[in-house]
Amino acid sequence: MALSTHTTPSGFLLPSIHSAPPFFTHQPNQSTHAHLTEQWMRLILTYARHKRLFILRVEDAEVPGGDWDKILRNERINRQIPPSYLSSLMAALVVKNLAVYELAKQTHAVLLHWHLPEEWAGVLHSWATATGQLNTILTFYEISDPPIPSPLSCILIPLLRRAITILSRSNRAQIIGVADGEGVRFFVG
Amino acid sequence: MALRRYTASIDGTIPVPALLYDDEELLASQDGVGIYDGLQKAPDYQTGSVHVSTHRLFFVHSQNPSSYSFTMDLLHVTRTNYYAGLFKSSPKVSLFLDADTALPLITISGQRTEIFESWECEVCSHRNPPGLSPTAARICTLCGVPRSVSAGSTVSDASSQTQSLFSSIPESSTTSLSSSSSPGPPSPSTNSESDGIGCPACTFLNHPSLRVCEICTTPLPNVEHAGSLRAKSAPPTRAVSPVGDNTDPANLLIKLSFRKGGDKPFYNVLRRALRSQAWEGKRIGHNARSRTSSLAVASPNYGPTPVAMRPSGIDGIMRNVEASAHITQTDLNDALKDLEGLMMKAKDLVHLAGELNEKLTASSTTTTTSTLASPLSTTSFPSNSGTQLTSLFSTTTLVPSTEPEEAKFIRSSLAQLGLQMSNAPVTLDMIRDERRWVDELARELARVLQGSPDDIPGQKSAGIMKERGIVGLDEVWGGWNRARGVALIPPSTFLQVLPHLPAYTSPPIRSRVFKSGLSVLHVPPYTHASFTARIVGYLAMSGVMTTSQIAHEENITIGLADEMIAAIEADGVICRDDERSAIKGGGSGSASEVRWSRNLFLEYIWDGQL
Repeated sequence: MALSTHTTPSGFLLPSIHSAPPFFTHQPNQSTHAHLTEQWMRLILTYARHKRLFILRVEDAEVPGGDWDKILRNERINRQIPPSYLSSLMAALVVKNLAVYELAKQTHAVLLHWHLPEEWAGVLHSWATATGQLNTILTFYEISDPPIPSPLSCILIPLLRRAITILSRSNRAQIIGVADGEGVRFFVG
Repeated sequence: MALRRYTASIDGTIPVPALLYDDEELLASQDGVGIYDGLQKAPDYQTGSVHVSTHRLFFVHSQNPSSYSFTMDLLHVTRTNYYAGLFKSSPKVSLFLDADTALPLITISGQRTEIFESWECEVCSHRNPPGLSPTAARICTLCGVPRSVSAGSTVSDASSQTQSLFSSIPESSTTSLSSSSSPGPPSPSTNSESDGIGCPACTFLNHPSLRVCEICTTPLPNVEHAGSLRAKSAPPTRAVSPVGDNTDPANLLIKLSFRKGGDKPFYNVLRRALRSQAWEGKRIGHNARSRTSSLAVASPNYGPTPVAMRPSGIDGIMRNVEASAHITQTDLNDALKDLEGLMMKAKDLVHLAGELNEKLTASSTTTTTSTLASPLSTTSFPSNSGTQLTSLFSTTTLVPSTEPEEAKFIRSSLAQLGLQMSNAPVTLDMIRDERRWVDELARELARVLQGSPDDIPGQKSAGIMKERGIVGLDEVWGGWNRARGVALIPPSTFLQVLPHLPAYTSPPIRSRVFKSGLSVLHVPPYTHASFTARIVGYLAMSGVMTTSQIAHEENITIGLADEMIAAIEADGVICRDDERSAIKGGGSGSASEVRWSRNLFLEYIWDGQL
């Protein structure tokens, strides 16, 4: 088992464990399983951060060429993670609060927290401060798709809302209803 | 004249045994024989050989066998006479023939072929094979029902009228009808043409073309039936008999002239054949033939007696079945009685063998150790008391050094008799104490598993686990009980014995229960630890192995390998790679099988992107 790391075209360094076929099998042994789950979660979150992916679906494992193709499948060893194993991994992520189910009462898609909502809140506030947008009303759209790329580009609205909710608890932000939806005003914290 | 009337020509180039019927047997042969037809020499039959069978007499001409050979049924012979010969006249045997059984004056070959066909019984649908003698062929070999006439009738309309004459007599056959309808002898049955159909109600003879009786309008049976009725109402009489000239005694005589001797033995054989009357038991057909010439004269003992002697039909079958069942029952009873007697004797025999074996064991111990070693050194008889040994010691000291071989011989003889005492099953009544009983059983089981230490070379008692290190408990139990043969061990006792097994086995055999409930007995190399070590070793060498590869490597069954690997997996030493997570189909060719590799993940340190 001479395993080696592998770099994807997008510049992501895959760990050597990703080239081990047993990595893609649900291990009946509890301790082995727990260990591998840990490695998987780390891999998923690292990759999500690298690619700025927020949503992981069960189906992603079976879609060649998708966003998650590079880690959920390994063409070099002819292995892919079975959907059942992936959904158990997602459940583990949710338990560890590293993800939440995207919609309540379903388990086939998760919203990944490769930054915790608290971290997102800090990022959001520092971004607002850095760009001098304190005390101005910003729409969610302006935050998730700013003219100048920011750490918050492409952030999903539910995640953004949770971050703002955290900020508003410490009186650093306020949600304001505007004509075409919702807006937020940041205050100096 | 007698020759013509009583014999049928055959092709003498065919060897006589080939001419015989299936139920016929050749009794004697003699060559250098001439034939007298009546009182005169028959010029064409002067040199040849005669053969007598149970049914027939054959004459085969020595120069011209194809033209001047004949056969004659022995049933024609009424009596015989022996003439010893005088000076130049050869010994002769005269055969006086029965005038009533003369053959018709036509060639018989056509009828023969018909007899030799196979035919299907109308009653039981059994297809009777050809080749039986004409008499035997008239009766179904399976159910004993006579062959029906209509089944075999292939004759013309004219003769079917005459045939009907005899259809009321079931044993008549086609051979009979052609004889009576033949143009040769003046047949009285010519009036059958003019006679009509007898009415079943009023016996009026109607014109054959009528369907109902002219007098009483009773529906008339069809032609065949009508014939039989007519036969009943007007049976043929003595006047039927064909020609008068056969009453001449000269025409009823054939003489065999023995020119080259051999007359006496041949005559004896011939007389015996005539006396045994092999054709008689089945002569129903000939009976009918005799009636073609003179039905009224046919002697009464030709009648139904053969039929009665031979049970036929369903009744006969039933009686056969009953008889065979009775015979089976009797045989079984006898056999059981014999068996009981044998068992009585067997006890003595076992006792004797036991004593003999004790002596042998004692003597071998004394000769090998030459001192009184502990009697327990031989596993077979720990119960040997010291007194026995000492008493035997004096006798065995005289035995020369060749003694062990003799002992071996005696033991192997005992073993061949099934009395090998070292293998004698231990039973509870042999040992009173239960704890000791279990110990003895464990000792015995150890012998079954590993073979006894004092093994007999000629005998194959290698033991179940001689070759294999791990065996299923069920197989051991079955094998043990098979080895015991008597006083079988119930599973509960078997399980009781298992914990004691390691004390009596070397290497110690232990039992192990897998997670699934499968129980096995195994030697130390198959303990969990050493098996794990071995598997890890394999995997370190080859990287990945399937279950079947491991099973092959370990020479155990796949099911067993599965269990053992699962136990290792539970330790987390190895991990699995399920082919179901392959991207393409069944993965790398093999069917969906789990591949095992060492579990290197526990020491894994993240080396990917941070």
